[in-house]
Amino acid sequence: MERRSFLKATAGAAAFSATGGITAPALAQGAAARTLRFVPQANLANFDPIWGTQYVVRNASLLVWDTLYGVDETITPRRQMVESEEVSADGLTWTFKLRPGLRFHDNTPVLAKDVVASLTRWAVRDPMGQMLRALQNELVAVDDSTFRWSLKAPYPKMLLALGKNNSPCAFIMPERIAKTDPFQQITEYVGSGPFRFVRDEWVPGAKAVFARFDGYVPREEKPSWLSGGKKVLVERVEWIVMPDPATAAAALQNGEVDWWESPIADLVPVLRRNRNIEVDIADPLGNVGSFRMNHLHAPFNDPRARRAILMALSQEDYMRSLVGDDQSLWKEMGGFFTPNTPLYSEAGGEIMKGPRNLDAAKKLLQEAGYDGRPITLVVAQDQPITKSFGDVSADLLKRLGMNVDFVATDWGTVGARRALKTPPSQGGWHIFHTWHAGADCVNPAPYTAMRANGDNAWFGWPNNPDIEAARDQWFAASDLAGEKAAVDKMNALAVDFGLYAPTGFFLSYQAWRKNITGVVKAPAPFFWGVSKT
Amino acid sequence: MFAYIVRRILATIPVMAIVALFVFSLLYIAPGDPAAVIAGDQATPADVERIRASLGLDRPFLVRFGEWVFRIIQGDLGLSIFTNLPVTRMIAQRIEPTLSLMVVTLVLAISVAVPMGVVAAWKSGSLIDRMVMGFAVLGFSVPVFVVGYLLAYVFALELDWLPVQGYTPISNGFWPWFKNLILPAVALGGVYIALIARITRATMMEILQQDYIRTARAKGAGQTTILFLHALKNAAVPIVTIIGIGLAGLIGGAVVTESVFAIPGLGRLTVDAILRRDYPVIQGVILLFSFVYVLVNLLIDLSYTLFDPRIRY
Amino acid sequence: MSTTFPSGGAPAAAPVMPDVMPTRVARKGLSGYIFRNPTIAIGGFLLLLLIFVAVFAPFLWTKDPTALAPAMRTRAPSERWWFGTDMLGRDVYSRVLYGTRVSLIVGFGVAFFASVIGLTIGLISGFVRWADSIIMRVMDGLMSIPSILLAIALMALTRGSVGNVILAITVAEIPRVSRLVRGVVLSLREQPYVEAAIASGTRTPVIIWRHILPNTLAPMIVQATYICASAMIAEAILSFIGAGTPPIIPSWGNIMAEGRALWQVKPYIVFFPAIFLSITVLAVNLVGDGLRDSLDPRLAKRV
Repeated sequence: MERRSFLKATAGAAAFSATGGITAPALAQGAAARTLRFVPQANLANFDPIWGTQYVVRNASLLVWDTLYGVDETITPRRQMVESEEVSADGLTWTFKLRPGLRFHDNTPVLAKDVVASLTRWAVRDPMGQMLRALQNELVAVDDSTFRWSLKAPYPKMLLALGKNNSPCAFIMPERIAKTDPFQQITEYVGSGPFRFVRDEWVPGAKAVFARFDGYVPREEKPSWLSGGKKVLVERVEWIVMPDPATAAAALQNGEVDWWESPIADLVPVLRRNRNIEVDIADPLGNVGSFRMNHLHAPFNDPRARRAILMALSQEDYMRSLVGDDQSLWKEMGGFFTPNTPLYSEAGGEIMKGPRNLDAAKKLLQEAGYDGRPITLVVAQDQPITKSFGDVSADLLKRLGMNVDFVATDWGTVGARRALKTPPSQGGWHIFHTWHAGADCVNPAPYTAMRANGDNAWFGWPNNPDIEAARDQWFAASDLAGEKAAVDKMNALAVDFGLYAPTGFFLSYQAWRKNITGVVKAPAPFFWGVSKT
Repeated sequence: MFAYIVRRILATIPVMAIVALFVFSLLYIAPGDPAAVIAGDQATPADVERIRASLGLDRPFLVRFGEWVFRIIQGDLGLSIFTNLPVTRMIAQRIEPTLSLMVVTLVLAISVAVPMGVVAAWKSGSLIDRMVMGFAVLGFSVPVFVVGYLLAYVFALELDWLPVQGYTPISNGFWPWFKNLILPAVALGGVYIALIARITRATMMEILQQDYIRTARAKGAGQTTILFLHALKNAAVPIVTIIGIGLAGLIGGAVVTESVFAIPGLGRLTVDAILRRDYPVIQGVILLFSFVYVLVNLLIDLSYTLFDPRIRY
Repeated sequence: MSTTFPSGGAPAAAPVMPDVMPTRVARKGLSGYIFRNPTIAIGGFLLLLLIFVAVFAPFLWTKDPTALAPAMRTRAPSERWWFGTDMLGRDVYSRVLYGTRVSLIVGFGVAFFASVIGLTIGLISGFVRWADSIIMRVMDGLMSIPSILLAIALMALTRGSVGNVILAITVAEIPRVSRLVRGVVLSLREQPYVEAAIASGTRTPVIIWRHILPNTLAPMIVQATYICASAMIAEAILSFIGAGTPPIIPSWGNIMAEGRALWQVKPYIVFFPAIFLSITVLAVNLVGDGLRDSLDPRLAKRV
C-alpha cells in the first residue's frame, strides 16, 4: 500500500501531464495510426479477473494473460500454452507439458510452479475449479515445464475447465502474484499474454492502454476464439470509456474511435448509414435476460406462483423494449439454455412460448394463495437492460392484478439487496432483473443461476434436489447424447419448478470503422488478428 | 492583513471538518454495497461477505472515521475500493481536464458576460437591454446537457468544425487542447454567463445613477472611461462575489458536461464513484471540491482590497 | 451685494416650460399592470398555463403515461401520438404533460421548504448569538459541497422518489436562504427602531413578526423563485444522471434521460420535455425578475 502526500500528487500531476500522461504525446505518425481505439461495454475499474468477475474485467484480462487451453468457436477446448497432455487410464492423473519459449512481460520464463500457483488461486473462486479441488489429491510441478494434477475421481471436463471463456478464466500469472489471497485484489498486472498492460497510462473510469508484447510466441494454428495463434497486428490498444452512447456513436462517426463494443440497437441504423462504418452481430451466443424470483418468501415460495409468471410473461415485450423492432436480434426461449447451441432444449417449456394466457396465470396465482401484498421489484436504473426490463415487469405485474412496490435504484444497491434473505418488507426483495451472457448458459457448468442447492444457490435460493441430480448427471455424461438427455431433464424440471423466468434471448451488435479488419463474432472482443490501415 | 489571512485560513478548518464528517456519515449509512458490485454477477453471497471483510467494510463507524481523518492529515486519502489505486493518484490523473474546463469556461463566461452586462446597463430600458437580459434568462433555463447535445450535433457532426468528445492535454499543443474544450465550455458557461451578466447589469445600473458618475460626465469624461474606469471598478466587488458563489454551480454542471463530452475529469469520477459506492474516492473528491470552493472564496474576499480601497482587513 | 432679480424689480411671469416631460396618464386596471410590469405578466401567464396543464393533464387528450406498448416504440410524432413514442412505446405527449406535475411539485416544494427552514435557521442564527457561529459554520460546510453532488449523494442513500428528490435538493438550497435571512436580521438589528424596540422590552417573537419578517419577505420571495427554477433544473440533472425520480413517475428529467442515447435519431424524445422545462424555468425566472424589480424600487425599470 502506498501513501502519497497530496502536494506531491498535485506536483506529480503537473509533471505527469507534462510528460503526456493521459494520451501518448508525440508518437510518430505511423505509430499513431497503429493504435486501435476501442470503446468497451463498461468501465474497467479494477483488473483482477479472479477477484472481480465482471465481463469487462475478463475481456481486458484476455489481452494480458494467457490460458493453458482455449475454447474455439465450437466451444471445444484446444491447447494454448500446453504442448501436450496425458491422462492416465483410470482418468485420475492428468500430466501437462508446457510449450517452450513462453515468457512473462517482465521477461521471466513461464514455469510449472507459476501454473500451479495460478490454478490454486483460480480453483478457490471458480465453480468448476471448486469441483476439482474437492476431488484433488495433489497439484504439483514435476519440473520446470511439466505439472501434474491427480484426482480421487475422474473429471472428464478438465480441459473445458482450463480453457473455458466464462469468468473466471484459468489465467496463468507469475507465482508471486498468484500467491495473493483469492479474496484480495492483485496489485501487479503482469502476464504472458499477447499484450502488456501499460499501467502508467491507466486512468480508471476513462482509459486503459495495452501495448503489444514482442516476446509473445503465437501458436501456428489459425486463431479461433481463445484457441490458435494470437498474432497481434497493431502496436497499441486504447480502451476509452464513454458512458454516453450518443457520444460514442458520434465519436465513431467522426473517426475519433475505431471500434465500439456494444452500440445500442436504436443507434445502429445511423451507424449503418455511415459509409465508413461496419455493423454486425457481436456475439452469436448472445445474452439471456432474467426475471429472478425470491424462493424464500411468499408469494414466490410457491411453485405455482412462479409458473404463473412463466405463463404470463411475454418475452416479446421484454425483447422489443430492449432491442427494438429488429426481429433478427432476439428470440423467444422455450427453455433455459442458449438457443442455437447443441444443448438448447425446449423440453417441458410449452408454457414459455406462444400466446400468453393471462387468465390462467391469474388463476394459478390465486391457487397459490396470493393475498395482495406488495411485490418488491428492485430495478437498477443505471443499466439500460435492467431498466427496460423493470418497466415491462411493473406493467406485467399490474396486469396480473398484483400490487407493485417499484424500488428504483442503482446496480450497486441491487447487488447488495439481492444478497439479503430477509423478508421483502424488511429490506429484502421479491424480484430483481439481470442478464447472463449466452456463453454462460450453454451448459450447466458455468450456469450458476441454474443451481438449486438451496442456501448455497445463487440469489433467489431455489431448492430442488432433482434439478441438482440432473446437473450431476450432465457432469458425469461421457458423450453428447448423454449430455443432451441430462439437459433435457434439467430443463423440464426447471420449467415446472419455476426456477427463474428467462425474459428472452437477445443479440447485440458491434460496430467498427471500415479501416479495421479482423473483427470476429465472439463472446468477447479479441484483439489479435485485428489490424488497422 | 496577514493576520486576517491567517485567521481566515484557520476558519476554514472547522468548515472542512464539518464537510468531512457529513460526507463520511452520509456514505456510512448508505445502502448499496461495493463488495457486491466487485464480486460480479456470478458470485455467491458467501463470496460477497468475504470481500466485504477483506475491504474492512464491516468495522464500526468511529473506527473507520478516525482512521480516515488520521490519514487525511498526513495527506493520504486512502485507496479506492475498486481500483486499489491511491485516491490522490486517481484525483491527480483527472485534475487537469476538469481544471482546464473550468478555466476556459470562466474566462469565456467573464469575457462575454461582463461586457454584456455593461452594455445592458448603459442602454438600460432599450431593445438591446431586453435582448441581452432575455438571452441571459434563456441561459438559465435550458439544461446544460440539452445545450451540449445541440452544440455537438451542429458543430461537431454536421459542420465537423470541432471534435465531438474527449480531452487533449495541453502538452499536445494549445490549439488541440482548446479545440476539445470549446463546445463543453460554451455548454457549461451558459448558466454562468447569465448569472454574471445579470449581476453586472444590476450593479452597473445602480452605480450609473450615483452622483460621482454624474460628476464625471459633467466633467466631460468619455463614455468608455466612465463605464470601465469608474463604474466597473466599483461594480467589481459584487461581480467577483458572484463568480465565487457561482463556482459551486459550475462544478455541478461540469459533472453533466463531462459525461456528455466524455471528458475524463473529476466530475465523472465522482458520479461513477457515487453510483458504485467507492467510498474513499467519494470522500476524497467532495473534500477536494469543498476545499477548492472555500479557497477560491477566500481569494475573492482578499481581492476586494484591490477593487475597493475602503475595504481593509 | 444685493440679491435683486436680474430683470429689475417685480418678478417676471413664470416662464413657459417646454413640454419636455409630458404627464403620463397611468393606465388603470389589469392592462395597466401588465403594461407596467411586462416580465411578471408574461412569466405569470406562462406559469398559470403550466399549472393548468399540470392539474388538468388527464383531460387534455392524454393517454396513460405508463402504458407500455413495446411493439410501437420510437415512433415519430404523428396524429396518433402527438409527440411520438419513447423506447417502451409510451406516449411522449402524455408523459410530458404529466411530467409538468412533477417539475412543478419539485420546484414549488423545494422553494417552500427551503424558504421556511432557511428562514427559521436564519432567524435563530441572527438572534441567538452563541448559536450563530456554529450554525454558520455548518451552513458554510454545506454550501461548499456543490449542490448537485450533495443531492446525488443524498439520493444514493435512499430510493428514488419525488419526496426524496425534494428533500435532497432542499438540503442543498437551505444554506443560501439562511445566509440571506441572517444577513437581513443582522443589519436590521442595528437599526434604531429595532434597537428601541429591544430596549423597550418588546419580546423577540413580536420583534420578528413586526420588524424583521416584513423586511425579509421581499428578498426571500425573490430568492424563492430562483430556488424554484434551479430546483427544476436540478431535478432534470439528477434524473439525467440516474439518481432522480423513478421512471414509473414521468418527469421531464427522466424522459430526457431515457431518450438521451437516441437524440441523434429520435430527437423529439429529448426535444419536447426540454422545451417544456425551458419555458417553465423561464417563466419562473421572469416572475422572479419582475418581483425583484417591483419590490426593490432602486432597480425598477424606468417606464
